[in-house]
Amino acid sequence: MRTLHETLGTDAGRRIHPLVELRYDRTAFEELERRLERNGPWDNWTLYQLAWEAEEATRIEHFHELQALRMLPRFEPLPHQVETAKRVLHDMRGRAILADEVGLGKTIEAGLVLKEYMVRGLVRNALVLVPASLVLQWVRELNDKFGIPAIAQKKEHHWDNPIVVASIDTAKREPHRTKLLEREYDMLIIDEAHKLKNKRTGNYKFASDLRKKYCLLLTATPVQNDLSELYNLITLLKPGQLGGESDFAATFVADRRVPKNRELLQEALGRVMIRNRRSDGGIRYTRRIVTNVPLRLSPEEQALYDGVTEYVRTHVRSAGVDLSGALALVTLQREVCSSRDAVFITLVNLFKKTEEGSPLRDRIWELVELIRRIKANTKAEKTMELIRGMNDKVIVFTEYRATQNYLLRFFAEHGLQAVPYRGGMNRGKKDWMMELFRRRAQVMVATEAGGEGINLQFCHHIINFDLPWNPMRIEQRIGRVHRLGQTEDVHIYNLCTLGTIEEHILHLLHEKINMFEMVIGELEDIIRTFEREETLEQRLARMILEAEGDDDLRSRIDRLGDAIADLRDSGGRKTAEWRREG
Amino acid sequence: MNRKQVQRFVLSFLEQTGCHIIEKSPTHVVVKLSPEADRALTNRHFYWSFIDRTGAEPETMTFAWHFGQPAKDGDAARGDAVPGSAAGAGAAGGGTAPASANVASGASPGNAQPGGAFSAGAAPSGTAVPSFAPAPGYRVLTEQIHFGSARLNQLFDYVRKNGRNVLLFAEPPRGVSPFRATWPYTAWLGVNFKVSYECDVKRDELYGWGISLATGVIDERFRERLQAARLTARMPEGVQLLKSTLTPRKAMAHLEAHLERKLKRGDFSWAVEAESRRLDELERVIHYYRPLIERAETAEQREALRTRMKNREAEIDWQYRPRVTVSVINCGIFHFPGID
Repeated sequence: MRTLHETLGTDAGRRIHPLVELRYDRTAFEELERRLERNGPWDNWTLYQLAWEAEEATRIEHFHELQALRMLPRFEPLPHQVETAKRVLHDMRGRAILADEVGLGKTIEAGLVLKEYMVRGLVRNALVLVPASLVLQWVRELNDKFGIPAIAQKKEHHWDNPIVVASIDTAKREPHRTKLLEREYDMLIIDEAHKLKNKRTGNYKFASDLRKKYCLLLTATPVQNDLSELYNLITLLKPGQLGGESDFAATFVADRRVPKNRELLQEALGRVMIRNRRSDGGIRYTRRIVTNVPLRLSPEEQALYDGVTEYVRTHVRSAGVDLSGALALVTLQREVCSSRDAVFITLVNLFKKTEEGSPLRDRIWELVELIRRIKANTKAEKTMELIRGMNDKVIVFTEYRATQNYLLRFFAEHGLQAVPYRGGMNRGKKDWMMELFRRRAQVMVATEAGGEGINLQFCHHIINFDLPWNPMRIEQRIGRVHRLGQTEDVHIYNLCTLGTIEEHILHLLHEKINMFEMVIGELEDIIRTFEREETLEQRLARMILEAEGDDDLRSRIDRLGDAIADLRDSGGRKTAEWRREG
Repeated sequence: MNRKQVQRFVLSFLEQTGCHIIEKSPTHVVVKLSPEADRALTNRHFYWSFIDRTGAEPETMTFAWHFGQPAKDGDAARGDAVPGSAAGAGAAGGGTAPASANVASGASPGNAQPGGAFSAGAAPSGTAVPSFAPAPGYRVLTEQIHFGSARLNQLFDYVRKNGRNVLLFAEPPRGVSPFRATWPYTAWLGVNFKVSYECDVKRDELYGWGISLATGVIDERFRERLQAARLTARMPEGVQLLKSTLTPRKAMAHLEAHLERKLKRGDFSWAVEAESRRLDELERVIHYYRPLIERAETAEQREALRTRMKNREAEIDWQYRPRVTVSVINCGIFHFPGID
């Protein structure tokens, strides 16, 4: 008997062009031969024709045109997302760092690229490695938006699914590690890739050893501080793209944090990295309307505030605490501005930590006594009034769990439906709370702003019950509501107790830095540059403790604000520029 | 595929698999699946193995498939974290209980009213809400079918698998045969090829060719010829099959050789470009690793770096190496009147 190869030619090494190997898949023909031998069974003529139609419909006509979009009629990506997907496919050949600023849709861009390769049959299996907290969100996005049948890795056999989303910390451990390193992935996607910046870590080595054809690294903070970190990230993707380590250092690094030959570097980065910025234009946002709501503390509340302030001053002077201790003390003052519940817990803890017989214990107890005298919360009452007045969905942010609980009780007592949201909740509970807020409750009281995946575009009002001192956290709060897809102007209310540190902070953030109305994303660069040596929070705490009275504090804060504003007008822009690809 | 083409495709499928169409409009169809289609589409392996073992009467599923413009409801379609909103493959679920929002239960009379469970969220905006009241006990699953939807892809897979090989006869031409009582028929091997050009990108070409098993003549427009012909699975009366001189295998080899000659004349600049990208990448990798390997302090380190370099080289090869794959979509034997 002749083998198939005698007449049909061997596949091995067959060439159709000096560079191009030719392969055959004749499964359907071999089946025809078997059926001829056995005289059937034969398929239906219409199905035969439909099979051609199916192939005709899914045929990829051109090398370059984006195919995925016609498959996703209900999906409306933004122009910059489509543009990014195209560049990854054509210019970067499927290996790229997606470094858009937060909120511009890196996940969507990655999903689009993955979908496109799948539609073209170039990717059959893919591994998506993300922080554990984002696994389910990724699975959901890939399924819902892109119709990609991704599953979350929970059991060992899940690795066999073509598209798997897993936590990188799980994947890099045995027994998974060995299994994954034996495989070949058509595509590897790593979210929060800036965590891979250090090439000595297990995560880095693991990601580097995984075999992959296409690879996407997603990060919002590609150049946190250090050029060598950026270099490592690119090496993961395309070793040698920026030359050898010493070439890179010689060509591009002036100082660890200061690049030289910016244009050259920019050009080199542009070949592997895409960074869309909100300020690039073409991305339209609605307005932010900021209202500061000044409040006077009630005499009882004021007494507590003064008492705490006095305690903090004397304590710092007497004991000479270090910076972290100082931060903790200043926190007491901030908590008084939020609610008596918040400060109460901290005081009780402080009391427990203080040695028995220490005079401080008595002082603390006096403060607790002051708390007992407070019957009403001025801010909560004002908040209630605001909510009643706007008669619309609103999210109230606070820094403190105790305040959150208090507010939930307070609203419930006044017949207002409110749901909580906090970082400690598991994913399912978070989803449920969001759903309740969307459908049932008028108010959400949240302590967490940074959590990914809370998209609250249906809400247009934010009340900052108290303010974080870290401007990025405020930005994250606002970003939950004021983001792509928000169709209405967003109203932001800042509650501010007069005559307290809160007033100073709001003065700094609002009047000096004008952060509430800044072009979104601009802040990120400025703060990062500014915080190289010391965080803003630390600086503020130090000022408060060192200041000789209120006027001195005000002028110190003014100087700080000027420094940031300067940075924004000059330096900030420069650092922003060199990273922007051409 | 546009909306009409999708609809035509789905209806042909339903007809060919013997499904029972309950209701039809220009934008939707309500259908009770045949057992065959149910097995292929509903993923109910346990149910079917139960039916097969017990011989019980199967209850197949009923679907309402909409071909209209999909709902662009910003909230639901964006997947704004409605848990399980995607449960009904592609339907934009939006009730308070998403899992059941797109299931209309005919068992409870309330749901048959206008604005019942159907309009709760699953029915697409701008499309007529089906007005029928399903028979008691039926569950009707509402889905959007569009190009790219999972359901349509399932149908694609089904026809690829079940429309593979045919053996057909053309109806004899009207009139009297010049050969008195019989018509001489020639057997043709018809093959639909898909040619994929791949490197780090890809494109496809389709060819529907045929070759006469009697003479070895190749017809590059064979698919068009098939479409114009009236074909039947049963051999018509008075047909005399001519003896084939070529085995299907030999004929296949001819077709492949013919196809290869054609492909060779094609444009290979894509491959040349891919190759230059490949070499470019390779050079970069070598340039990166060589000095590292030379400077390595221990043999162990050196070996580790070598392995890493090799892996990276293999990845580049995998990604860029230009290749062409010819696959047979489906093929069959077709008997046509005439001697050619």
